[in-house]
Amino acid sequence: MSWQRVLALMLRIVRQFRRDRRTLALILVVPVLVLSLIGYIYRGSGESTRLAVVEGNSPLARQVIALLEQTSSLHVTVMEREQALQAVGRREVDGVLVLPTLPVQPGTPLKVELILEGSQPSAAGAIISAVSRALPLAIIQTVSPDGQALQIEPRFLHGGPQFDQLDYFAPTFIGFFAFFFVFLLTSVSFLRERLQGSIERLIVSPLDRKEIVLGYMLGFTLFATVQSIVMVIFTVAVLRIHYVGELWLVAFLTFLLTVGAVNLGIFLSAFARTELQVVQFIPIVITPQGLLSGIIWPVDSLPRPLQWLAQALPLTWANEALRAVMIRGEGLDALGLHLAVLVGFAVAMAALAMVTLRREVA
Amino acid sequence: MDATVVADEVSRTFGPVRAIDRLTLEIPQGVIYGLLGPSGSGKTTFLRMVVGALRPSEGQLLVLGRTMPDRAVAARIGYMPQTAALYPDLTLRENLAFFGRIYGLRGRRKLEERVEQLASDLGLLGWVDQQLYRFSVGMLQRASLACALLHQPELLVLDEPTVGLDPVLRRSLWAHFRQLAEQGKTLLISTHTMDEAGRCDLLGFLRGGRLLASDTPAALRRQTGQADLEDAFLALAGQPGIPVGEL
Repeated sequence: MSWQRVLALMLRIVRQFRRDRRTLALILVVPVLVLSLIGYIYRGSGESTRLAVVEGNSPLARQVIALLEQTSSLHVTVMEREQALQAVGRREVDGVLVLPTLPVQPGTPLKVELILEGSQPSAAGAIISAVSRALPLAIIQTVSPDGQALQIEPRFLHGGPQFDQLDYFAPTFIGFFAFFFVFLLTSVSFLRERLQGSIERLIVSPLDRKEIVLGYMLGFTLFATVQSIVMVIFTVAVLRIHYVGELWLVAFLTFLLTVGAVNLGIFLSAFARTELQVVQFIPIVITPQGLLSGIIWPVDSLPRPLQWLAQALPLTWANEALRAVMIRGEGLDALGLHLAVLVGFAVAMAALAMVTLRREVA
Repeated sequence: MDATVVADEVSRTFGPVRAIDRLTLEIPQGVIYGLLGPSGSGKTTFLRMVVGALRPSEGQLLVLGRTMPDRAVAARIGYMPQTAALYPDLTLRENLAFFGRIYGLRGRRKLEERVEQLASDLGLLGWVDQQLYRFSVGMLQRASLACALLHQPELLVLDEPTVGLDPVLRRSLWAHFRQLAEQGKTLLISTHTMDEAGRCDLLGFLRGGRLLASDTPAALRRQTGQADLEDAFLALAGQPGIPVGEL
């Protein structure tokens, strides 16, 4: 093995991509744009959930409305019953809370109606949870205005009241996009080399397969590393996500993941004959990892067979580790298994890439 | 002296297709060996086996004394594929420097001298620091040839090196090839044009993967009783009157 040859190959790739502005943009600018978009979606506080309240005349009403109005994601409007029902029908509000009108006939239960528009489960969920919180509290306050209200005192082992959805998702987005963009970049560029025949020139040169895979891996990984660092800095400095762990560890985990993605890209590009065929790998390689690796649904909540599948995906391990670092502040010592899996994946893919390169001299 | 290339009953199949069929030939050191045949006759397949990019399915292929494919002789072979197969985003100098390092050329100054020399020999002076995507087809061919010549290989394998070149340039390239042969280098060149075939020391007629004949151009003319190489080829192919391109 000649490190000089590996270095020459790596430098050539670096030089090539430095000239290729569009690809550079794909690596560095696109992830930042996507992260900005996601940040804006979560934190842009656009439309909040709209709830109409029909006040009735119970002494409860004022307390309930006051408590509901404290919920920041809820926009509360007091309406007449008919008006409110029309509004929910026209989807102007997401739900209607009808508080009772007194007196009720003896023997009839005191009824609180909650009418939900229903086509948006998240809005419905938000209303149900806000109302279920507000009602008992309001009842206690009504019954004993001077007495101590029941208070929930949350105590977080990890994270905290300031952590929101974005803080929970951000670590996995870093992993997912790093994996996705690097895989795409590597597989397409490696295929392009096959198509233009330059890979054959390398195969008949003194370079051996180990040197070729290593040279490519180092060249692409350099960009992947820059990308990971840019993404970590952007999420922390611009999106201002909350985190507790060491940032270098986040960048390092992302780096390990992307080395695997590079090698996977080289390996799989052997099975594509056109750029379009590379794109066809996305639903096979990327989508399942996006769905199963715990980004949206925790792996524990998946059906058992899918949990097994998730355990076989490198992104699952990367995501777990990234969350462990950023949300729970865990260190290198707690992530041995995760690191081993990510390194194992990268090595296995490098070995497979070498095997497919050998097939070129078939 | 040992022959540079020795093929003994070499065959190569792709699935059911027999691209090269029991080919036997010897190429001595210091000659220009031309492989003449229509497209699809197996020229490129044979050249790729000689450089180690393809493994023979049957038979034995010795190149510079080693059974191919063998990376041990890679640095002693220069290969120019049919397509340029270089890096369009890089300049000619960067392309050459890259291949220089891969082939173990040491020393920045030595490399620079070699780059200037080749650019001058191949009429590319003034283009050395231009990115290759600006190059015309003919310039790309020459750039590709420069990469094959860079490490001064003992065996040069050139797949249709003069396609798309104007006659003046073609002539100067052949003069360059002759010079290399006189220095003791062996050249294996595929072509489908008759005037180039006539410039070779030895000529192999390839058709349908089979070597119809291998000899000096003069001997081939004599053997077939034809004054013209094209007619000689047709006579050997047993189909007089059909242009070579349609065989």
